[in-house]
This record gives sequence, structure tokens and C-alpha cells, in this order.
Amino acid sequence: MPRYAMVIDQERCVGCQSCTVACKSEWDVPNGSARTKVRQTGTVGQFPQLSKAFYVSQCNQCDHPTCVPACPTGATYQDANGLVRIHRDLCIGCGACVAACPYGARYINSSLGKADKCDFCASRVEKGLQPACVATCPAHAKIFGDLEDRSSDVFRMVYRESARRMETTTIAIGPNVYYRGKPEHAELVLVSFAPVPPRTIAPAAIWSSVLNKFIYLAVGATFLGQAVAFFHQLSTGEKQFDE
Amino acid sequence: MSSSSIEIEPIQLTAERAEVMSQRRIKKHHVAIVLVHWFNATTWLLELATGSGLVVSPQYRFMPVWYLQMMEGIFGSRANMLRFHIAAGLTWVTVFLVYAIFGFRNYLKMEVLQREIGLDRDDFRWLKTRTLHLFGRSREPLPPQGVYNAGQKLFALLVYAAIPLIMLTGLIMAFHWFGTTVVAWAMLIHLLAVGLVVSGLMIHIYMGAVFPEEKPAFYSMITGMVDELYAYRHHFKWWRDVKLQEQAWMAKLGEQHATPPPHPDAAPAQVDQAVTHQPKPAE
Amino acid sequence: MDSKITRRGFLKTTSLAAAVTGATAGSSAELRPPAWRGDTRVQQIATNCEMCFWRCGVMAEVADGKVVKLQGNPDHPLTKGQLCARGNAGTQLLYDPDRLKYPMIRAGERGSGRFKRVSWDQALDLFASRLTELKKKYGPESVAFFPHGVGAGFFGTLMRAFGTPNSAEPAFAQCRGPRDVGYQLTFGRPVNSPEPVDLEEAKAIVLIGSHIGENVFTSQVTNFITGLQRGAKLIVVDPRFSTAASKADYWLPIKPGTDIALLLAWMNVLIAESLYDKQYIEQYATGMKELEAHVQGFTPEWAEPITEISASRIRETAHVMADVMPAVAVHPGRHVTWYGDDTQRARAMAILTGLLGAYGRKGGMFLPTKLKQGRIPLPPFPDSERGRVDGGGTTYPLATEESQGLTQGLVQATLSAKPYPIKGWIIYGQNVLESIPQRQNTLQAIEQLEFLAVVDVLPVEQTQYADLVLPEATYLERYDPPAFVTTAKRPYVAIRQPAIEPMYESKPGWWIAKQMASRLGLAGYFPWRDPDDHLARLLAPLSVNMTELKSLGAVSFEGHPYIEDRTEQDGPLFPTQSGKIELSSSVLQDLHFDPLPRFTAPDSPPPGFMRLIYGRAPMHSFARTENNSWLNELMAENQVWIHTSSAAKYDVRNGYKVVLENQDGVRSAPLIARVTEEIRSDCVYMVHGFGSRSKALSKAYKKGASDAELITRVAVDPIMGATGMRVNFVRVLAADRS
Repeated sequence: MPRYAMVIDQERCVGCQSCTVACKSEWDVPNGSARTKVRQTGTVGQFPQLSKAFYVSQCNQCDHPTCVPACPTGATYQDANGLVRIHRDLCIGCGACVAACPYGARYINSSLGKADKCDFCASRVEKGLQPACVATCPAHAKIFGDLEDRSSDVFRMVYRESARRMETTTIAIGPNVYYRGKPEHAELVLVSFAPVPPRTIAPAAIWSSVLNKFIYLAVGATFLGQAVAFFHQLSTGEKQFDE
Repeated sequence: MSSSSIEIEPIQLTAERAEVMSQRRIKKHHVAIVLVHWFNATTWLLELATGSGLVVSPQYRFMPVWYLQMMEGIFGSRANMLRFHIAAGLTWVTVFLVYAIFGFRNYLKMEVLQREIGLDRDDFRWLKTRTLHLFGRSREPLPPQGVYNAGQKLFALLVYAAIPLIMLTGLIMAFHWFGTTVVAWAMLIHLLAVGLVVSGLMIHIYMGAVFPEEKPAFYSMITGMVDELYAYRHHFKWWRDVKLQEQAWMAKLGEQHATPPPHPDAAPAQVDQAVTHQPKPAE
Repeated sequence: MDSKITRRGFLKTTSLAAAVTGATAGSSAELRPPAWRGDTRVQQIATNCEMCFWRCGVMAEVADGKVVKLQGNPDHPLTKGQLCARGNAGTQLLYDPDRLKYPMIRAGERGSGRFKRVSWDQALDLFASRLTELKKKYGPESVAFFPHGVGAGFFGTLMRAFGTPNSAEPAFAQCRGPRDVGYQLTFGRPVNSPEPVDLEEAKAIVLIGSHIGENVFTSQVTNFITGLQRGAKLIVVDPRFSTAASKADYWLPIKPGTDIALLLAWMNVLIAESLYDKQYIEQYATGMKELEAHVQGFTPEWAEPITEISASRIRETAHVMADVMPAVAVHPGRHVTWYGDDTQRARAMAILTGLLGAYGRKGGMFLPTKLKQGRIPLPPFPDSERGRVDGGGTTYPLATEESQGLTQGLVQATLSAKPYPIKGWIIYGQNVLESIPQRQNTLQAIEQLEFLAVVDVLPVEQTQYADLVLPEATYLERYDPPAFVTTAKRPYVAIRQPAIEPMYESKPGWWIAKQMASRLGLAGYFPWRDPDDHLARLLAPLSVNMTELKSLGAVSFEGHPYIEDRTEQDGPLFPTQSGKIELSSSVLQDLHFDPLPRFTAPDSPPPGFMRLIYGRAPMHSFARTENNSWLNELMAENQVWIHTSSAAKYDVRNGYKVVLENQDGVRSAPLIARVTEEIRSDCVYMVHGFGSRSKALSKAYKKGASDAELITRVAVDPIMGATGMRVNFVRVLAADRS
């Protein structure tokens, strides 16, 4: 089974946003949202000793996604290739998954009313094409491939050339978008755009902390109550309904 | 007989009177109510089965995994199950809307609701006394009740409050109305309301289908009728209202005819002669 | 005839015919195998892009008469399937609801923006009658032509046939002109486009001001990054910490306007330390002695206080170049009209290239390979006795060719009516109020016109002032002349063919020009029947398989990019007067200009002012794309970059709006201040193309601020008339925060 991953070469990226627009065009991403984003990190240093980089981000198809357990209907799931997918027919657009992503990679598609995100152009990949962003990048800064394929560029970059994950000590969920380039540029990303703890939306928090227990209690108690009454009824014999 | 002969409070009945009353029927539920009740029950069953099969993520689910898998198998996919859930839900909403619009005057006007499910002092006393009975702590007789007893009224109130909420939140989720935040809260309210109704249902179903004393109530949800003795014993105040209406109707008829019609308390010629509490001109 | 003739059979016959006669009956769309997008079948049509002027290969996916996606054309020899943000956003131009849709005639005061919709017949008749009128009253030369873009050729032919020599594109005097003239003087060839810089093979890349990565030309970015990834050292000379500077091994934050001093100092080091390519110079160049004498005094120490770059740094970077020569790519730049001495700066860069032995060598600049282009025989063009009004060839001696018109010269002539009155302007695809500096002059000139016709795709500001507005179809809906690209390692021909029928009542330029010609009695200058005929005639000498060309979008040929590849057919290596690289320019000398570049200090900003410099953003093309829904989303407005210390001095806070006021008291619209370390404290930077004053451009209107409005002063290059535009100074005022 393939294990897809992407490597972003920060030294190649010029921040031109070709990938953003190619993706938007490929997947009808409504204005206001993006499946892939290109952002400039803060600039470090004082004139003229300066350093800056670009951070290209998208869904990381994490090894241990925090969005999957957050989805009440199971619309978001991890497929056999490790890609995190969204079953549109099951999504109600509650936004729990959007809040649960430490990388802010998900959005609610305003025209569909459902959650949406990058899926490494799964349908293109199935046909043997590269993801749209990878294909269009003038700087060839995005490299896509199968980590199970030892001859692939991504294998080499991840396992032999220390391409790294954007992880912190607290958020390490195994993102499969890796970054290669100068360590200082990766650090710049973590300063400006480090992954944040997954959030639980208020209704889900209330449910899982208090209300579900309350409902279990209510249903359980009433059920038990009736069971007791039933056994009582059996043991005392049917009360004559008419004296 | 004058109105003063209809007792204000339930009394110990003579065997003959009890026998007579047990043979006569009073109409309790209009056929529309019966249909709506069973339609509602069926839909609830289906919606509960499918709805609970949809909530799968470890954070939320409350059904065992085998159940979830079974349901998914039955429907082919959870997407199909959701479509079914929404379709059944929309049907439910539509039927109730029709019911609400056409039946408003008869069933949903405030005075009707007040009479049928509004709680009065007898109801509160009944609740207290019944609870004490449950724990064997009282031998006091239960206060007289109206067409529905206090327990039934409580359940009705819960359902009347919950159903619009469940419908609205269901629609919000199905069609993504009012945006993501509202959808997220809708899900919570949907689950909460359903859960509360389900706990009420535990009692409702036991009482209706299992508890022997209430058997006539169960059958009344099929035939629409209860026998008078049951009504006297369990819903005295309603029985009284019916009687008063009968009396008034009889009085009116008495003015119109030379021969007074037979006394309602007299033994009827036929066992199944029915007398409704809505006066109808006799043959 | 078999009545059951199948579509496939029909196409087979026509495609054969196409190969023979060059004409196809059906649309070329069917010639490429269909593809699928999900469940929908799509046609793939190869064409090229015009969101900017690099003309990258584009594959348009069409379903149900709609373009559903644009992607790069993998068969394009230069861009090979890459496509930038603007190229990908082409559908949003096609489907922009603000597009010009119908021919319109002015129905109110000029500038009121009130128009009346008319039919094409009415519009074209009006055009012909007004032009005839002007010809009668003032002579054909009274009509000036302002073209820009690939399709301009059709209108250029029309205007020449009409009898006017007055035509000017901003590409010359507001953009590339100085470097084309400078390099032509040195090597015998203009630089041209795409620039033949061998970035991918370079071992050192030198960028003077070029902000590759913010100015995005797809294949140039590809080659630039490839070169860097292969280990090329990058030297960036820029007052601002551009994207390119962020990747540089050496960022030289030069004082604006002093690049010539730096270049002279580098030459000094290479010559003084005998580091230049002696053998190459001996073999191919003249004027070495003069150069040697000239640069003797221009040491790094001399240059240090001028450029504010340390002498050691200047030396160090010269050594970096020398270490890897001749594989040093000194990029000639593209928009180089900065300070008025720009031709001389281009000369300096060319000389440096020559000293490094890089011209015609791998990793430096490669040589173009000719492509035979078919000629369409036309009747002779009328001669104009009165000559050009813009000063080209006369006042500015080296702006000699017709394509080397001076836009501002046309504006001046219109204002002054000297040497003779200019009474009509025809604008095709040029945004005169944004691209020509000193817009107040342009506006005034427009007021004096008797007739202004605008042919365009979008209702840019000048449309409001037109008497006649003609909607052209976008590049996705029209045929344009094919590109004959010689400045590629493999020269190629690339076509532009429509992906869908023109929307609304827009028409392709070729049709409009042809219609105008027939109404003016000039049909003889458009002897070709239709686009296929036109294309076939142009491609005739190359014996190209038309089916293949229409299906792939481009065809490439053998190239001879380096000196060692050259053959007899390629012509002389250095087509100068002497046949050699002219380090010292005899042409300039004869014209009484400095034969070797000299440094002249630019004006300093008055106290309290900073120099205004401008540039590009990768998601926009000049002022063309700000109304594009997707590109607007990425960047809706520009900001002014200002150094932290300057911001403190002028009480400017990051993220708050400011107003820039220039030395002539002209104020910009409010725009957000970006307070940063990424720029020198003596200048401010903004991206060009914003602050549109056209209400009809609903998404671009009043977003950000226009730098062009602040360019009220220009430094004119005396050699070829370019308008140096980095000679304006601004001070920063707080704006109302409402």
C-alpha cells in the first residue's frame, strides 16, 4: 500500500502562489478559503543581516490525525493509503474537524456547507498525475511521492536527507508534509506558524464532558426503573385491573 | 336525572354500576391522533436506529461497534443511512406540519393544550403521591386526573418541547442553515433532546405496553376508545366532563322530543352502544 | 458519398488536408484525445497565456463550451507544464463580470463614463469615418497609436497602412528599451524576450535590481532555482531585501542610483587583478585598452562611499564571479528605466558580461537561433514626409526603429501640437494612464483629442475618456500571431488558438483590425482570409505539421545557443559594426555620448523625503490583474515598505494607513504601511498597479495606491528617450484611520 507524502523545498520556493491558484482552480475552492497556503515567515535579524522564508502548508495527511476522532459522523476518515479524506455525503459541516486541526488546514466550503481540505489530489494521483500544485510549481519546490517506494525522491529526502516535519514537543501527530532546506528557515516557520493544540468546539466539549453522561444517566435510570417495575409486576402477579 | 347526580369526586361503585360502565365505551382519541401516534412511533424507531448508527467517532458514539457495523451493512453505506435518516425526518416534519396546520383548532389551540396537558394542583399531588406509592411509603388514594394523568402530561410536555427542537436542528444539520456554528450547536441540541425523549420513552413504552393497569390505554391508542369504568377509575375528571356533556345533550334532546330517551345509566339494550362526549343527534 | 460518414472519418480527411494546405475545417480541439475531469469529458486545447507577456504554454480544459481549468502545457518547449499564479487564474479574466462586453460610443462629457451601446457595424463605421475625417483635416500622421501585446501587430499594420509613423509601446521607453539598446551597442543584439540568460547552467548569478521570484516568469523562475540548486552563487544588488535577496549568498543593499559605480568597480577589480577572460576578450572584443584606462580610477574604495557597499565586499563578489567564469549570468534586467542613465548602466552590465567571457558561453548568456518566418506580401506602406513626432531617431538618436516609439513623446506632441498636431489616439491593450509617467500630462493630452478609440478587454481607467470602446476577446477566445521565440536554447514557434468562442459581443483583434481596414479601403494590407490562413503563411518556410502544432501548441527546432555550436546560417557572432564585442562604443562616441559608462550621482532626496521605488508581486501583472477575483483575493491592495527607523522618525505604525506625498505635492491614496527591516531607510517601496481609478473594475477600484500617480518627475535617457522613473521622492503622512 502506498504511503503518500510531500516534501516542500523551502530553498526553492519563491512564494509565488502558483500552487494556491492551481489548487483553487482544480477544486473550485471558494474565495475566502484555501487548500494550500503560502505565507511569508517573519523576517529575522536587523538590516542588512536578514533572513526570511516561505511556509507552504496544506493538509498534512497526518499519521495520527486529530481531526478524524473529532468528526461526529465519521465523515472524515483515514484511507488505506494514509490519506485523510472527507466523505461529503456524511459531512454536516459542524466545523469540529476544522477546530481540531493543529495546522489550520481545513475549512468549511461556503458553497457546499461542508468541510473540505487538500487530499493530495487523490483523484489525479489515481490517474498517474501529480497533484495540481506540484505540477504547476515553477520552482519545482513541491515534491510528491510514495514513501514506500525506495527509489522515490520523497524517500530519499525524508530518510536520507533529513527533511523534517513541522512538529513541536507538544504537537507531534506525524504530518506527512516534510520540509527541507536551511534549518534556520524551518525554525522561522515554527516561530510564526507552529502547530497549535487541537481545539474542541464548544458544543462538542459540552457533550463529551457533561451531557453525554447526563443522557446515559437519564436513559439508564428510566430503563432500570421500568425494569425494576416490570420484575416487581411479574413477582406480584398481574394486578387485577378491575376490582 | 339532574346534574347534581353526577358525583364531584370518585366514589366506591356498586358492582352493577361498575359492570355497566365496564361495558360502555367512551371515545378518547380521534382517529387522527391514533394515526399520528403510530406514525410518530414508527418514525422514531427508524430515526433512532439510523441516527444512533450515524454517530461513529470514538468521542461521540454511544452504540456498540457491532451495532454500527450492522447498520452500515443493512444500508450499504453510512451515507445511505444518512440519506434515509434525512428522508424519514423530512417526511416526519411534513406530516406534523400538515397535522399542525389542519388540526390546530382541534388539537393544538392553547385552550385544548391547557385542558389536556396543563398541570393543575391535582396533578402535582398525584406526582407526589404516585412517587411515594412507588417506594411503598403511602397508601393515600391518587387524586383524580383529567384526560391524561400527570405522568402522561409531563411526558407530553417534554415531547411537545423536544419535537420542534429535534425537527429544527435536524433541518439545520441537513441543509447547513445559518452557518457552521449554528450547525454545531444544533447537533448538540438534537442529541440532547432525543436523549431526553428516549428516557421518557422508557416509561411511556413500559406504561403503555407492559404495565397491566394501563392496558386499556394501550388499546385506546388503537381503537380510539376506552371503557367507562377505566375512565372513571383513572381519569375521573375527564369522565365527569363527558358525563356533564351527555347530560346537557340529553337535556337538549329532552326539550325536543316527547318521549325522553333512555337514561344513560339504565342498562343498554345493546352492549356496544356507543356514546360519544361530543353530542350527536340520535337516530 | 457515403451518407454515413463518421465524425472520425471526417476529421481524418480534414486533418490530412490541414497538413497539406495548412487550413483546418473543424476546430483543432478535436485533434487532441479527450480527457476526463471526474465524470465530465473535457477537450484539451493547447494555447499560450497572456496574463503577462512571457506566453507560457497553457492547456485549456473545455467542457460544454466553458473553460473549466487551465494548466501548464507539458509540451511547451520553454515552460514545460509549469504555470504561475496569474496563468492559473486566467479563467477569472475570462469570466470576469466587469469585462468589456459590447461596443460603446460616448454619450456624455468626456470622462463622465456615460456610454451608449452600439452594434459592431455602427462602431466600426464610426471608427472609419472619424479616422477619415482626421486624415482629411490634419493628415494621417495626426493619429497616434498606443499598442501593447501580441495582438497589436494587426493594428500596427493597419496604422502603418493608414499612414501614420506615430506608434509607441511602453515596453521600450518605460521598460526594456535601455538594455536592448545597451546590449545591441555592445554585442550587436538586443536582449529580447525571453531573456537568453543561462541561469540553469550558471555557477554565479548576478541580479542588479531584478527581483526574480516577485517578478515571476515561469521558466525564468525554474531556471533560476535550478541554477541555485546546482550550487550557483547568488549575488543580489538591491536596496530591498527581495525574495531573491533572501536566497542570496551576497546581498548588496546598494544605495539607489549608484549601480554604475558598483559595476565600474567590479570591472576595475577584474582588470586590475587580471581576473577577466583574456583569451575571450582577445578573440572577440575591441576597445579593451580604452576600457582599461577608463576604469583605472574606479576602485572599490572609490565606489564604497558612493554605493554604501564596503570595498571588501565589492572585491569579494568580483572574485566570486571570476572564480567561476565564464559561467556567470549577469542578468540584464527587464524593467530598467530607473535614473535616466539606464542605457549606460546596461552598457556596463554588458561590458561586465563580456569581461567574464560569458556572452555566448554556457552559464552566461546564450545566443539566439534564427527562425525562418514567412512573409505575407503587402502593398508598400505610405511614406510619411512629416516623420515621427515622438523624437525617436532625432532627439533620441538610438530610438530608431518603429517598434522603438516613445510614449511620452507622443503625449508631449499631443499637448504641444509640435511639430504638428496629433488629434486622434488609438489605444490597443495599453493602459496609458498607468504605464506612462506624469499622468497629469496624459490626461491633459486626452482632453485635447478629437477622437480617442480604445480596444481592450477590461474597462481600465482610460476607457472612461474614450469616444469609442471596442471589446476585445480575451486570449482564451482568440487567435493571435504565433510567437517565434529565438532566445531559447531550442528556438520554437508557439501558437495561440481560441479555447472557446468569444463571449458577449467581444471580438478577436484580428477581426477588428481587418474590419477597420476594409472600411478604410485598406483591405489589401490584410490579404489573408482567416487565422488559419494567416498562420499557415507565417509558418510556411518552417514546414511545420499543422495538426501536430495545433495539438501540441508549440514546435521547437534545433538551437545553437553557445559559440561552439554556431554555424554559417546563424550569421556573425557579434553583429556590431566591427563584428566584435564593442567594449567601447564607437556608435555612442559618434553621437557624442560617453563611449564608456560613467557614473553620475543621482539627485538626493530632499530632507524629510525618501526615494520611491516600485516593483512587482508574483500574483499580479502590472495593472492588469488587480480585478481578477482569485488574484485579488491573494493580494487586494499594495502596501508601502518602510524601514523601522524611518517609520519611527515619521511616526508611522505597522499596519496603519499612510499617505505618500511627493516632491511636487502630489498625494497618493491611503495605503497600509509595512514597517520592516527589509529595506534601506532612504527609500520606500510599493508594488505597481494598484489604486485603480476605474469604477468599472469593481474589485480593483480604489484598492491600495497608485505609484504611477506619484511619478510626476522623470529622468529622460538622452540616448534613446527612456523615462527613468525612480527619481521621485516621497514623505509619509498619517492617513485618517477611518
